[in-house]
Amino acid sequence: MDSERQKKVSEQVKEVLKIEAQGIMDLVDRVGPEFEEAVRMILRSKGRVILTGMGKSGLVGRKISATLNSTGTPSFFMHPAEAIHGDLGMVTRDDVILSISNSGHTQEINKLLPIIKKMGAKIISFTGGLESPMARISDVVIDVGVEREACPMGLAPTASTTAVLAMGDALAVVLINLRRFSQKDYKMFHPGGSLGERLATKVKEVMFTDDNMPAVCLGSSVSDAIMEMDSKGIGATVVVDGDRRLAGILTDGDLRRALISHKDIRSLRVEDIMTPSPRTIDENLSAAEALGIMELYGITHLVILDREKRLQGVIHLHDLLGREEFRLNGGFTST
Amino acid sequence: MAALRLPRGLIIDMISPFTRSGGIDGRGLGKQLDRVLPHIQALFISSPYMGEGNNLGTEQREELFEKSLSVIRGRVPVFMWISRETEEKTRETLLALKKRIELQKYNGPIFWVDTPLYYHSNRGLPQHYEDMISIVKEPFILHNDPDLINPINRPFKRKNIRTAILKDLALIKGIKGLIFLGTLDRAYNYQKVARARMDFRIYDGDESHFLEHPSLSGVVSRGANLAPKAWQKITVSSLNLNGNQGDYPDYLKQVWAAGRYLNNLKELYEAYGSAVIKMVLSKMGVIEDASFDNGLKDTSGKIKDLMEKHGDYS
Repeated sequence: MDSERQKKVSEQVKEVLKIEAQGIMDLVDRVGPEFEEAVRMILRSKGRVILTGMGKSGLVGRKISATLNSTGTPSFFMHPAEAIHGDLGMVTRDDVILSISNSGHTQEINKLLPIIKKMGAKIISFTGGLESPMARISDVVIDVGVEREACPMGLAPTASTTAVLAMGDALAVVLINLRRFSQKDYKMFHPGGSLGERLATKVKEVMFTDDNMPAVCLGSSVSDAIMEMDSKGIGATVVVDGDRRLAGILTDGDLRRALISHKDIRSLRVEDIMTPSPRTIDENLSAAEALGIMELYGITHLVILDREKRLQGVIHLHDLLGREEFRLNGGFTST
Repeated sequence: MAALRLPRGLIIDMISPFTRSGGIDGRGLGKQLDRVLPHIQALFISSPYMGEGNNLGTEQREELFEKSLSVIRGRVPVFMWISRETEEKTRETLLALKKRIELQKYNGPIFWVDTPLYYHSNRGLPQHYEDMISIVKEPFILHNDPDLINPINRPFKRKNIRTAILKDLALIKGIKGLIFLGTLDRAYNYQKVARARMDFRIYDGDESHFLEHPSLSGVVSRGANLAPKAWQKITVSSLNLNGNQGDYPDYLKQVWAAGRYLNNLKELYEAYGSAVIKMVLSKMGVIEDASFDNGLKDTSGKIKDLMEKHGDYS
């Protein structure tokens, strides 16, 4: 490359970097009470933060979602077109939607948001179009508009997507601090961290099976069930019939409630106090999905059945989240 | 006035067509406006470049304004350049144009474009605008153009609005934006100081800047007189005005081709300004065949060929 051309390339690179930096700097003075409102909305929410956006905004949305997940805010990305064709089922009224569109006129998003609004979920917009249809339907609008793009002729959004990305990082960082999320927590939630590894594994790799699985038969006394629970140490035992088909589950909670309502629980049989029809999960689903089901129903155990509905195994919340050691098929592996 | 907001998009730096006798070519003006109006977001009249600026006499400027308003009928906002050699003359022009609006009972959006350094120093500019705003209800747009100020022979005269002064000017509600010509570094500084006003628009007055690194407020385009559709395509794409990129497979290729075409066209007309553009438009039968410099024939022929190739020469 001759020196003239090299100089031109260097100048162009510097110009692009200046424009992108300027785009972010423009946001600094525009941070107002609406950002605080967005943060409050997410903190109050019992659901997840669902990112949505088309094209490059969608790609940025995926990154923001990953950052939120890594820093303790449950989140996923939902493609607007897929949402209209069925993925909307993932949204609940407890969720917060974070919608990204530089213009605020993206058709797919503007079709989607009125439906989400009707469902009762809250909507936060990241947009430069403060009077756009997307902004009008949103509960909170964060201005991420930039004054100049680095790319000629709008062939690709550049400074505008950089600004959105930076604003997304700002949101995640503020949420970390407000939740007092520690470095240790970050390590655990980070995709490359221990919990990330755990949650990526399948249920069949982490469930208790065979001799490690607490199980008693129907007709067993509560005393026998307590001994089984005590020896296996996961705060519950599965109850099966003679054909190893699932009859119920007896947990610490069931025992607590039985102690309140019966004078002597040792004389009872397990079927008198167990929870029939416990929640089950397919062994091929991920540990993360198991965690999601536990969160959704407020439970700590899930039972795994085979195709013939026979007992295969059981998993406990602590083995996904809380223990320093992680069991693989009942064995202990240092992490 | 507070409710009137500046549009985003393509603003045409409109030519001022003349008859051979030196009057305003009303018919040609109407034909050119009909040609460009469907593709633009606003119209800049009597600008220092395409609009002949101060080469227009007072009456010509008023006539041009009046005739333009009759054709536009409020369909797009009008940006009208008012600057003259002195503060007094500028004020006189403003009042005369205001009278024309009242006589026509024109209700469409109008913005006064003013190049303050053309007749005023940086010192005292905020007060100057407070005074100007008090005499008209229409809002103002500032025009910063160092090349226009450069030939004015005054010692120590600054060619650009000082950034600190712009900061104060941007706080005045009656000033809605700025048409910017100058270096990109200055553009960033202006952007910084004006950002406190979210509705303050900074338009690219330099087509090259817009084609390279587009301002998301829009562009004031000279070439839109020749190729309004291509300029619209680039502006819509750069500003993402539709919210989506085109959904046809070769959209990016088309935008790229349109950009190259406009750059090539710009190289041809840039050196000759409005004269060569008018010559092409007169050859197209849009405006009257006023007398032109024969030296432009070669360039106008090249422009014609280029436009024919892109289906714009009709």
